[in-house]
Amino acid sequence: MLTYDVVIVGGGGAGMRAALEAARDKSLQVAVFSKTYPTRSHTGAAQGGINGAFAFKDPTDSIEKHFKDTVKGSDFLGDQNAIDFFVNECPECILELERMGVPFSRDEFGRIAQRPFGGASSPRTCYSADKTGHVILHTLYEQCLKHGVKFYNEWFLLELVVDKGRFQGLIVQNMHDGCIHPVNTKSVVIATGGFGRIYWNRTTNALNMTGDGTAACFNAGIPLKDPEFVQFHPTGLAGTGILMSEASRGEGGYLINKNGERFMSRYAPEKMELGPRDLVSRAIETEIREGRGVGGNGNFYVLLDLRHLGKKKILERLPQIRELAIDFENLDPIEHPIPIRPSCHYMMGGIHVSDHTTCSTPVPGIHAAGECACVSIHGANRLGGNSLADVIVFGKAAGKGACLSAKELSSGAEPILLKRTAYWEEKFRTMREKGHGLKVAEVRDRLAATMWNNVGIFRTEKEMEKALSEVEELLQEYNSCYIGDSSTKYNSAFIQYVETGNLLNLAKAVALAAIARKESRGCHARDDYPTRDDANFLKHSTVTKIGDEYKLSYIPVTITKYQPEERRY
Amino acid sequence: MAMEIVYRVKRFDGEKSYYQEYSIPYEKDRTILWGLIKIRDEIDPTLSFRSACRSAICGSCAIRVNSNALLACKTSLDKQLALYQTNILTLEPLANFPVIRDLVVDWENKFKHMTEVKPWLIGEKDCPGGTGYYRQSPDEFLEISNPTDCILCGCCVSECTQHTNLRDEFYEPFIFTKSWRFTADSRDNSPKAHLLPVLNEGGLWKCVRCQQCITKCPKGVRPADHISRLRCSSMNYGFTDNLGTRHAQAFAEYIQKTGRLNEVTLPLKTEGIFRTLKRIPFALRLLRKGKLRPLYFPSPIQGIEGIRKIYNRLRKEEKK
Repeated sequence: MLTYDVVIVGGGGAGMRAALEAARDKSLQVAVFSKTYPTRSHTGAAQGGINGAFAFKDPTDSIEKHFKDTVKGSDFLGDQNAIDFFVNECPECILELERMGVPFSRDEFGRIAQRPFGGASSPRTCYSADKTGHVILHTLYEQCLKHGVKFYNEWFLLELVVDKGRFQGLIVQNMHDGCIHPVNTKSVVIATGGFGRIYWNRTTNALNMTGDGTAACFNAGIPLKDPEFVQFHPTGLAGTGILMSEASRGEGGYLINKNGERFMSRYAPEKMELGPRDLVSRAIETEIREGRGVGGNGNFYVLLDLRHLGKKKILERLPQIRELAIDFENLDPIEHPIPIRPSCHYMMGGIHVSDHTTCSTPVPGIHAAGECACVSIHGANRLGGNSLADVIVFGKAAGKGACLSAKELSSGAEPILLKRTAYWEEKFRTMREKGHGLKVAEVRDRLAATMWNNVGIFRTEKEMEKALSEVEELLQEYNSCYIGDSSTKYNSAFIQYVETGNLLNLAKAVALAAIARKESRGCHARDDYPTRDDANFLKHSTVTKIGDEYKLSYIPVTITKYQPEERRY
Repeated sequence: MAMEIVYRVKRFDGEKSYYQEYSIPYEKDRTILWGLIKIRDEIDPTLSFRSACRSAICGSCAIRVNSNALLACKTSLDKQLALYQTNILTLEPLANFPVIRDLVVDWENKFKHMTEVKPWLIGEKDCPGGTGYYRQSPDEFLEISNPTDCILCGCCVSECTQHTNLRDEFYEPFIFTKSWRFTADSRDNSPKAHLLPVLNEGGLWKCVRCQQCITKCPKGVRPADHISRLRCSSMNYGFTDNLGTRHAQAFAEYIQKTGRLNEVTLPLKTEGIFRTLKRIPFALRLLRKGKLRPLYFPSPIQGIEGIRKIYNRLRKEEKK
């Protein structure tokens, strides 16, 4: 049996940062399991940058300001003790990246360059042109090669085995030959990213962002925290949802409606285009709702105008944005404004992390970091530039935490791991043999349609109830799905079948928690409850799965020094 | 327009390899990847290919279309149909990789070459004790900007003519890019450690400069340029006792002297007498076909003074 002390699931930013930290302890056996080659991970798609209060660009910036911006951005749902830890760790964690070799853009003094970003009171987003995530991801991979980290590439997580509250190990599938293996490990870091694919094509997320680790934790009885908070990025390309970095507004881009108006003056008179993402997304959708969108035939959008920045600045600071607009919208932003519309981008909610210093969950030995986790530092709305910082700060913390766990805990029990392996082998066999039924893609597309139409940017009880009952129906119909591929080798049809199951389970939790939160906070905007209600809802939702039942409850938010106040920009 | 388009896909199930045709209705403004997903979702769930970000940054979906490597996600279907004046496209896995299934290739052994060039910063040049951070000027950052655009998609590997010929004797183009990225990084204190593996093992001087890696790179990365830069660096570090350097130096000398090459004496300068003797049969064949003039010693071309001025200017610049 594959046996390790620490296993990391997920080879993106958080996973590899955790692996590097865990690998420092030479007495421990460490391995990374990832369903893609690590450099394919979605961390690479992060464009704009990573926040650290160095005060290079603006001497008045401070850790304290980063703290306040993050709390305010979270609409006061972020835990202030965790945010305090986070903003204090950010600068050193970024310097560690720099020393590892991340090629950051530079200012004239040779320091790391910083740019303004949404919801930030000072320019503190460190960047490498508009491909910051890409260079961080590749540098982390190179560091892993340096330190000889063991990778299992294209191995897919099927289950986290927890028996009577004790973590035992995991069940994984080698996608290349289809073999299913138990992995006996004392501790695990789940770093599998978000699950924006519940909206299928209406997302900036990669096709494989299906929340496999989150679902595995959820199935193992670990609560999902704040799943109703789904961030819609204001500037997805209108046609494809592909991300146009916030850096495009950070560098001075305008948002324009069909009358040629910079409409943000109505919504965030001070910050204008650099309001936080929840606010800007709502502003765009309101413009479209009120008939000021561009386009027609049910296909409306607004324009992101970069032309006034000039060719030089666009080529130097936003080369990837330009390339994407040329490739996917067939226009050059140097000469034309870009059609954009909000697109599902990020899950603030996720695996309930109960101790932010170790990223541990309620089950000893299971840790979580990155988008899949909910610490929570992002609360009801994440600030741009805080997610790369999140994966680095908490990836490191989770790596350390998992080492501590591995030293305290013993290995899992082999009989139960073998039993669960046999279950999955049987499942794989049955699915390969099943000749007819419902197509997985159909279930997936119907899920996406109901989530987009009914649990989108603006929400109402009626619509969300509709989504919930549709998702429940789909969960039933999922049982009659067939995959149509009998091969053991690289059976991506089976992987997509499991992924779709994960999406369904998670989408149900999103709808359930969203219905119950009868207020508007951060990105959770309800037409039927348009204001924030601190008296009743200044608390985290948690959804726990017990068998097929979903149990909703609440836990308090930690507030230390910044009392909730009205959120204006 | 009710046009059908056909994807003729090279399939491989682990044992046998064959072509299968899929017809899908044409839609405007779509990508190659769109068609693959449509086939998998609606026609054949057994069709295996990789894809993830669908925005040209993860490097998963590189395949060959009509024998040219590209990223399926960013390649316009309309442009491919127009380019080949056809409604049938042949899709194959990247060349020069072992195939796992259909369009899915195995990357595992590529990472070995990557590790050889030590793709990490070595030394603590101006960052003593491993704290603080390195200073780097915007210009120094620009030096490594192009090579760090590489997304490891493998298009250059597939299309490299020399790697196709020589396999492990001439490394994958992106390995040279990786080597140059660290050799050129102003923060690195041991550039030779990144350069020597490609000089000694990677076949640095074997690139034939066909430029396929540059033309085929979907991210505008320029491996062949990085190879040139690595060659210059290797000479500057004094690694001149090799065929490649002698060949390059001979070129430079000839051009300075006469403005043109002397193909008869060139092998002597590059390879020495012993090796050149081995080329006699080849030379005789060339002679027979009238492609070699053994008694031809070129006189300087018109305007040779201009060329020499360029040389002098370059030498001066070098000294600076």
